[in-house]
Amino acid sequence: MSRVDLQHINKSYPGVKALDDVDLTVNSGEFFTLLGPSGCGKTTLLRAVAGFNTHDSGRILVDGKRIDNVPAHRRNIGMVYQDYAIFPHMTVADNVGFGLAMRRRPRQEIAERVARVLDLVQLGGHAQRMPHELSGGQQQRVALARAMVINPQILLMDEPLSNLDAKLRVELRDDIRDLQRSLGITTIYVTHDQEEALVISDRICIMQSGRVHQIGGPQEVYARPATLFVASFVGAMNVMPDLPVGQGGEIKLGDGGCTVQALAGRGTVTLAIRPEDVVLRARPDKAVVLGGAVDKVTFAGREAFYRLTCDGDRRVLAHVYRPDQGQLESAGVRVDLAFPLARLHFFDPADGRRIEASP
Amino acid sequence: MIPRMRFDFWTGVLLLALAVIAVLLVWPLSSIMTASFIDNRTGAATLGNYARVLGQPFFQDALINSMIVGVGGMLGAMALGIPLAVLTTRYVIRGRDMLATLAVLALVSPPFIGAYAWIMMLGRNGFVRLPLEELGVPVPPIYGLFGILLVFSLKFYPFVFLLASSSLRTINPSVEEAAEGLGAGAWRRFFKVTLPLVFPAVSAGALLTFVLSIADFGTPAIVGGRVRVLATTAYNLFTSEMTGNPGLASATSMVLIVVSLIVVALQRWSVGRRNVAGAMVRKPVPKYLGPFASAAAHIVCYGIVLVSSLPSLVVIYTSFRKTRGPVFQAGFGFESYERILREVPHVISNSAVYSLVSVALIVILGTLIGYILARRESPMAGALDGALLVPYIVPGVVLGLAFVVTFNVKPLELTGSATIIVLMLFIRRLPYAVRSSASILKQIKGSIEEAAISLGAAPGRAFLKITLPLMIPGVVAGALMSFITAINELSSSLILYVGRTMTMPVRIYLSVLDGEFGTAAALSTILLGATGLAVYAVFWVSGRNESAFV
Repeated sequence: MSRVDLQHINKSYPGVKALDDVDLTVNSGEFFTLLGPSGCGKTTLLRAVAGFNTHDSGRILVDGKRIDNVPAHRRNIGMVYQDYAIFPHMTVADNVGFGLAMRRRPRQEIAERVARVLDLVQLGGHAQRMPHELSGGQQQRVALARAMVINPQILLMDEPLSNLDAKLRVELRDDIRDLQRSLGITTIYVTHDQEEALVISDRICIMQSGRVHQIGGPQEVYARPATLFVASFVGAMNVMPDLPVGQGGEIKLGDGGCTVQALAGRGTVTLAIRPEDVVLRARPDKAVVLGGAVDKVTFAGREAFYRLTCDGDRRVLAHVYRPDQGQLESAGVRVDLAFPLARLHFFDPADGRRIEASP
Repeated sequence: MIPRMRFDFWTGVLLLALAVIAVLLVWPLSSIMTASFIDNRTGAATLGNYARVLGQPFFQDALINSMIVGVGGMLGAMALGIPLAVLTTRYVIRGRDMLATLAVLALVSPPFIGAYAWIMMLGRNGFVRLPLEELGVPVPPIYGLFGILLVFSLKFYPFVFLLASSSLRTINPSVEEAAEGLGAGAWRRFFKVTLPLVFPAVSAGALLTFVLSIADFGTPAIVGGRVRVLATTAYNLFTSEMTGNPGLASATSMVLIVVSLIVVALQRWSVGRRNVAGAMVRKPVPKYLGPFASAAAHIVCYGIVLVSSLPSLVVIYTSFRKTRGPVFQAGFGFESYERILREVPHVISNSAVYSLVSVALIVILGTLIGYILARRESPMAGALDGALLVPYIVPGVVLGLAFVVTFNVKPLELTGSATIIVLMLFIRRLPYAVRSSASILKQIKGSIEEAAISLGAAPGRAFLKITLPLMIPGVVAGALMSFITAINELSSSLILYVGRTMTMPVRIYLSVLDGEFGTAAALSTILLGATGLAVYAVFWVSGRNESAFV
């Protein structure tokens, strides 16, 4: 169990700022996820912690001790890769025991610890198999066991589920989470899959172009995205950019509108609302109500997806849960839609930052 | 990408590699380039050599002939290689593995052996020509373009065959089925879908045969008769006592290099524009043909492969014929072998020693350079990569001439030594080892070595415990390939040898010129035996992967 401090990390490649003053703390025993699109710097940051990338400036501390100049093989950090990185010429047991052998542990101890960790990842009977006899999911379990058996101070995972099919992904995702929790290993996890990040993490750090946009728990980043980028990257979001704002904070949207005092004095604002927050066919209080037309309805059992047009040519998506039979609008029908004020997000069009407004 | 601690070692390797290339490639080639601009009599700078090479009919003929044998060899190899590849990958052909093995053997046996075996079959008193002519079948004279093209086609088709086969095997059959579903008939499908998909592989094989054809010295020297090509012209200009002219020889060599360079550049450009890597979902399954079509397909496949194997069989057969001096007698005997053991035993040991020493050097430096190219990107590594293309382009005759021009004076006076032959074999074959070790490393994911490091292995230890064991099969296969080409090298050795340092291919060539077919056959059989063993070993380490030979 260790705490990790990343202090003002910067890293540039020719023409690209890969890490831009990244400053964050991963608490002891925490499951911490770096989330962002490819090229956002999340893997660069992970590899800096592992010791495979150097950074231009900044400090990396584990339990308060600087490790920047400790070579990768002396850091005592476990790493799990997207492509498994199993040693193909060694048995499962030799793969898992490799780190202990490097630490010159007695043979007896290695055998016992390998057997125990293989049971933990549900590969008890597979110790003498060769990697090519295993499925992708099993190989990744071997990699997980191999990284955990050395009792690392930190466990790093670089998109470990990306190469697996959907069903295995969900299964292994839950197992990773349970294992991490029961062992309490501080874990830094990299993914581009926002749903995976929401499900698995204690806290999520959303990155873009080498910059940290927001760090927070899954519910927090979903409910109160700090920037427009976070709002659109995590979950789905209807975004209405650059709406003019009146002197007193009035916004006009189609034939409806609202007044938000916090916006008074701003020229424009970007407004956003999640599809599941859009209300159809009702006129709740404290909501912007406007008329729209249904373009397309997709029924998916538990929910239905609407694509609507309102306010001229504005596209709005709406999700309706447990749609009642016979109540689905068909394309072309005109319908009222309402944006409850409490569910609206406001962002500064200039820098994309969230504007706190309690209407 | 991996920490600073290995910086010194790998930088040292990089500098060593660049030094080797500077001394063994850049220096000799710039010497020969300089020589091409110097007048032989006056020693003054001149463009006269080029004016003569490009202007005089004597040289123009050589250039035209080189182009003819290049294009002809290429077309011949395609005409044999493509049908063989299509038939064996698409349809069930019995004994496919054996056919592929025979094709590989035909590929790796030296072309000059093929040339003189065909002389024995189709020469003026050839044992195939005489019965055919008695039957009234006209047989064109073997000496000349026909002979050269026959030998090249039968010698080089395996390149096209092996490259096209491995490419055909990776075409997802769904693609062809989709074309069929869209209304393309069998022929349109082949020309519109299949052929474009295998184009990069086929063109790579075809242009490789072009470059090898114009670079080959032994075949036109033995079977060319009065037909001169650039390679033989350069050799003759350099070696003949009376009319020797290093300036002209050098200018001819430069023309040869430029032609090769253009073709290689063309090939890279044409392949670079097409990216046809597809997602592989299904592997094609060979289909069964009807009885008549199947018989026809078998005849075509076996015909091609058996005819191309004929030279080796003829050579082995001839080596066991009874001889008295150079004259063959009725019956069988070991006189030819007795003669080479009595008269020239040192050529066998020379060949073995030179090949083994150069292969040892190649493996050590080639593996290290391969690692740098695959794992450490830098401008210097890029320069190294580019420089290593040079030996592919420069024919053996030319590099041999360049070595003589460069290393016959101090500070490096090496002519007549065994060292110069070893160095020549080393630099000529180094790129093949580099390429094979780099390509193996590219298949070994870098994350594997990193995983070992993060588990506590120091970088050097991670390389030794994880990466090296995974590389070994490929390195061994590469070493065997280098051995095969080194022991069969003729053209440059012919220029660099003195009596003491004569090798088997040189002795075979001289024996053929002297009409000593018996001893030539015995030596060739020994050479074929060594080559065959090496091929068997490659199959053994690489698990029957024929494309290891391309």
